[in-house]
Amino acid sequence: MAAIQGRQRIGDKQLGVLFDGGKVRRRREWRGVKDTLYDYGRWLYILSILAKFIVKPRNIKAMFRYRWMANYLAVPHMVDKFTMGLRDEALRIVHTAMDFVVYDVANTMDDVFRGDRRTGNDVEFSNKCVLTDENEMTAFMMGFPNVKAILREVPTMFVANLLTQNSTTHYLDVAQQFGIAGDVCPMPEAEAGISIDDDFAVLGVCAVQCNTTCDGSLMGNGLIAKRLEREYGIPTFQLVAPMRHQEDDVQAYAAQDIKNAIAFVEEHTGQHWDWSHYFECAKRVNDTTRNRLAWLEMNSTPFPQFVGAPFSLYNDTNYMGNCGRSEKFPPIDRKIMRYAERGSRARRMMAKEYRHRAIVWGVQPQYCIDMLNWMVHCWGIVPLTDMLSLVNTRMIADTDTPENREQAFYDMAWLNENMIMRNRTHGGYKVLVDELWEFCETMHADMVIMWEHMSCKALTGMHGQFEEQARARGIHLVWVCHDLCDPRVYTRQAIRDQLNAYMRTVMREEPLDPSIEVLPDENAW
Amino acid sequence: MQIPKFAWKLLGVGAGAFAVTFTIYFFNLDMKLLSAFEPILLRHYDRIPRDQHL
Amino acid sequence: MRDLKHLTYFEDLLQEANNALVVQAQAEGKKCVAFVCENTPEPLMNLDNTFGVRLHAPNTGSMDIATYYMTSLLCETSRSLLERAVEGGFNFADCVIAPDGCTMINRCVENMELLKTMGAGKDRFFYEYMEIPLKADDNGVELLVLQCKNHILKPLHDTFGTDVSDAAIRRAVAEHNRVCALIRALGDFRKEARPRITGYEFHVLTLATYVAPKYLLIDKLAETLEEVRSREPEEKAYRARIALVGSEVDDSEFIKLIEDTGAYVCADRFCFGSLPGRDPIVLTDDEDALTQVCRQYVYRGQCPRTMNMEKVYGRKQYVADIAREYHADGILYEQIKFCDPWAYERTLGSVMLRADYGFPVLSVDRPYNIRSSIGQMRTRVQAFIESMEIKKIQGGVR
Repeated sequence: MAAIQGRQRIGDKQLGVLFDGGKVRRRREWRGVKDTLYDYGRWLYILSILAKFIVKPRNIKAMFRYRWMANYLAVPHMVDKFTMGLRDEALRIVHTAMDFVVYDVANTMDDVFRGDRRTGNDVEFSNKCVLTDENEMTAFMMGFPNVKAILREVPTMFVANLLTQNSTTHYLDVAQQFGIAGDVCPMPEAEAGISIDDDFAVLGVCAVQCNTTCDGSLMGNGLIAKRLEREYGIPTFQLVAPMRHQEDDVQAYAAQDIKNAIAFVEEHTGQHWDWSHYFECAKRVNDTTRNRLAWLEMNSTPFPQFVGAPFSLYNDTNYMGNCGRSEKFPPIDRKIMRYAERGSRARRMMAKEYRHRAIVWGVQPQYCIDMLNWMVHCWGIVPLTDMLSLVNTRMIADTDTPENREQAFYDMAWLNENMIMRNRTHGGYKVLVDELWEFCETMHADMVIMWEHMSCKALTGMHGQFEEQARARGIHLVWVCHDLCDPRVYTRQAIRDQLNAYMRTVMREEPLDPSIEVLPDENAW
Repeated sequence: MQIPKFAWKLLGVGAGAFAVTFTIYFFNLDMKLLSAFEPILLRHYDRIPRDQHL
Repeated sequence: MRDLKHLTYFEDLLQEANNALVVQAQAEGKKCVAFVCENTPEPLMNLDNTFGVRLHAPNTGSMDIATYYMTSLLCETSRSLLERAVEGGFNFADCVIAPDGCTMINRCVENMELLKTMGAGKDRFFYEYMEIPLKADDNGVELLVLQCKNHILKPLHDTFGTDVSDAAIRRAVAEHNRVCALIRALGDFRKEARPRITGYEFHVLTLATYVAPKYLLIDKLAETLEEVRSREPEEKAYRARIALVGSEVDDSEFIKLIEDTGAYVCADRFCFGSLPGRDPIVLTDDEDALTQVCRQYVYRGQCPRTMNMEKVYGRKQYVADIAREYHADGILYEQIKFCDPWAYERTLGSVMLRADYGFPVLSVDRPYNIRSSIGQMRTRVQAFIESMEIKKIQGGVR
C-alpha cells in the first residue's frame, strides 16, 4: 500500500525517552497541554476506581491473601501502555474503552471478594453467584437478572497478565511441580496452578464450565472442578461448545446443552429463567454486534479509529464477559462511536505515517499485547483488527415470541460456540485459514502479523498452510512466535524483534521512531 | 467585584492539589512507589501456608 | 513359553499400514475406510462392501515435513500420520473419516486433505469430519447418531453404494463381537498368576484387529486362542504386574520394552488397547442398532475429552477396577509427548490412583516411536519396578 502521511505528533516525539529499564516508566508522556490534561484527568479517574475498591476491608484482606492481587498495583501502568503515543480521538477512545474495562474488572473483583469464603464471606450473596470460566460466553446467564455470573479466572489470571508480565510464572511452576507437562497452553495451565495453589477465591452456589477454548482448557477444567466439588462442595456443570460449530448438524446438540445448563443454574440458585430479561439482553447483544461491525467497517477505510489491544480487550469484555447483561456497556459503546466517527471525519491518524495495513491473526501474547500500539508508532503498521475481535456477525432473535423462545436456545448456543478465539481456532481450517485471506481483501490489508502462540496446537497445526498460502497470495506474513503468558519462553523484546527483523531484512524499512525499536522493558511490570 | 476570601482559599487548595497530583502523575511517582511495595507483598505471599493439591 | 504359531504373521501385519490383509480385502472389491480415533464406531465402517482401518505409522523415523506443516509442538502421533500420508503410505485408503476429537489429530487430517496426500486416481475419495460428544449423556448419544448418519453412513451409501440398513449394521456388530470375544478371551489369560500370553503378544494381536480387516483375522485369532489354552506358561515369575494406561499405543515395542525389564503388562487401557476397545457391543431388538452402537460408544468410552465430572472421576475408577481385576502391582500412566488431553489426564489420574486408590504409579511421556527413546524409558520403568519390589520385600502394602 502507499504510505499515508499525517501531521507530526504534538509533545514527545521520541517515545523511547519514557523508558529507563526499570519496572515502571521514567515519567509519563507529554502530549501537549490539552491531551496531557485529558490523560491526567483519566489517571485521576482510575485512581478513584482503585481507591473505592481498596477502602473496603474485605478487599484489603484479599490483597494480603491472594498472590495475584499484587498485579493490581500496576493498573495505571497498564493503561499507560495502551495509550502510548496517542493523541486526540485515539487517546479518548482508548481511555473510554480501557478505563471501563478497569471499572468492570474492579466491580467483578469486588463481587468476588464479597462472596469469597476467606474474605467477605457474604453467604447470601455467594448463593446468588454462579462461577464461570475465563473463556466462556455468559449467554446462558442472560435470563437470570438476579444471579451474578462470576468469571473468576478473569481477574485472577487473564487480566493479571495484562498488568504484569510475570503474573503467571509462580502458578505455572506449581502446576508443573504437580506433573502437568510444560508444553501445554500456559493459560489453562496457570489456572490449574492457581487451583492447586489454593489461590482462587472460593464462592458461588455452583459453577458452569465450558470446553472453550481448547483441549488444554477443557482438561484443566476437570482438575479445577475436582477441587470445587470435593473440597468446597460447589457442584459443577460442563457446558458443551461443539468443535465444528459451523455445521448445521451440531446446533441442536449445543442448544440442548444450553437448556441443560440453564436447568442446572435454576436448580442450584432457586431462580427462574426470565424471558423478558433475556430478550432485553439480546437487544444489547445485537447492538454490540452492530457497533463492532461499524468499527470494523471504519477500520477498512484509510483512517482506522478503534484498533489494537483496546479494541480486542473491550470486545472480550463486552461480547464475552458481558454478553448483553449489563446496561452500562451501551453508553460506552455510543461514546466510543462518537469519538470514532469524529476521528474518521477528521482523518485522524495515530502516527505520522501509515505504511502498512495489517490483520493481526492468531492468539495474542497476553503480556505483550500492547505491541499492537508499539508497531503503529515504531513501524507505521496499523492493526486493522485482530482475530479475537472477528466473532459473531449474526443478529439474534430479540423479540419475545413463542418461536423466538425456542430460537433463543440456538442463539445462545451459537454465541457460546462463537466465543472469542475458539470460533477461529476450531471449526475446521476454513474459519482459521481461508477466512483470513478474505479479511485481508475486505479490509485492504497488505500484511498479516501472525501471532503464533507456540503451545496453541489448533493454530500451529496450520503453520505450513498459512505460510504457503500467504506466499501464493503475495501477502507479507510476519511470524511472531510467543508462549502466550510466559515471558520466560519469549521475552517481550524477543517477540518484538521478530517484527523488527522482518521489517529491516524483508521490507528494508527504517523505523518511524527508532527510539522504541528496542525497549528496555524486560524488568518492567 | 471582590472575590471572597474562601474562594481564594479554595483556589489555592485546588492549585496546590493540582500541582501535587500533576507532579505525581507526570513523574510517575504513583507507580514508582507501588513498584517498591510489590516485593514486600511477594515475600508475604511466600510465607502464607498453602494447601497445595490437585 | 513356546512361540505362538501365528505371532510372526500378526507382527508382519503391523509393519506397514497397507498390510497384506488390506490388500486382500481390496482385491476382493471392498472399500477401505481409514479412521484415526477410537471414538469412531468401528462396526459402521465394516459394513457389507467396506472395511475400517485405523491409521498408524509403524517404524516412523523422520517427521520433517509434518513438522514444517504443524511445528514441533504437535503430538508425534499426528505428525507421524501426516508424514506417512505425505510419503504416500496411506494411498490405499478409499476415504478418511476423522472425528474432530483432539485438536491435533483433526489438524493432521486437515493437512492431509489440503496437501492432497491421498485419493490420487480415486475419483470418489472423500474426507468426512465428525463432531464427537464431549459428555457422556443422552444428548451426546443423539449427536453421535446424527453424526454417524451424516458423516459415515450417508457418504458410504452415496459413494460406494454400501448397504447401511439396520440389518447390515447388526451383521457388522456380530462380526465385531466375534473379534472382541476372541480378544477378550485371550486377554483373560492375563489375569492368571502365571499368564499364558505375554503383554507384548496380546498387544500385537489386539493391534492387528484395529489395522486390518476384521473378517480376515477371525480364523487365525481363533486358532491362536486354542493354542494359548493349552500353552505352558513361563516357570519364572514376573517381577511386577503393570497396568498400562494412557494415550494411544500402536507401537508394540513399547510393551516389549516394559516386559524386557522383567515386568508383565497385564492390562491395556489405552487407544488401540482392548479395555474397553474390545468390549462386545450388546444389541437388543427393542431399538435400532445404530442408536445402540452409539450409546455404547458414548457411555463406555474412556477418552479424556469426555468432560462431565462423572466421567472424569469414572475414568480413574475404571483404571482402579481393571488394575484390581488383572491383579496389577502398579500402574504406568503414559502419554505421547505434546498431547494436551493426556497431559492433564495423566497428572490427575496418576495423583488420584496413588492417593485415592493406593496404587504405585509411574507417570511418563514418550515419543510415538519408542526406539527414539529406549534408554530413558527403560531406566524409568526399571526404577519403577525396583521401587515396587523393594516395597514388597519390606512388606509394605502395594
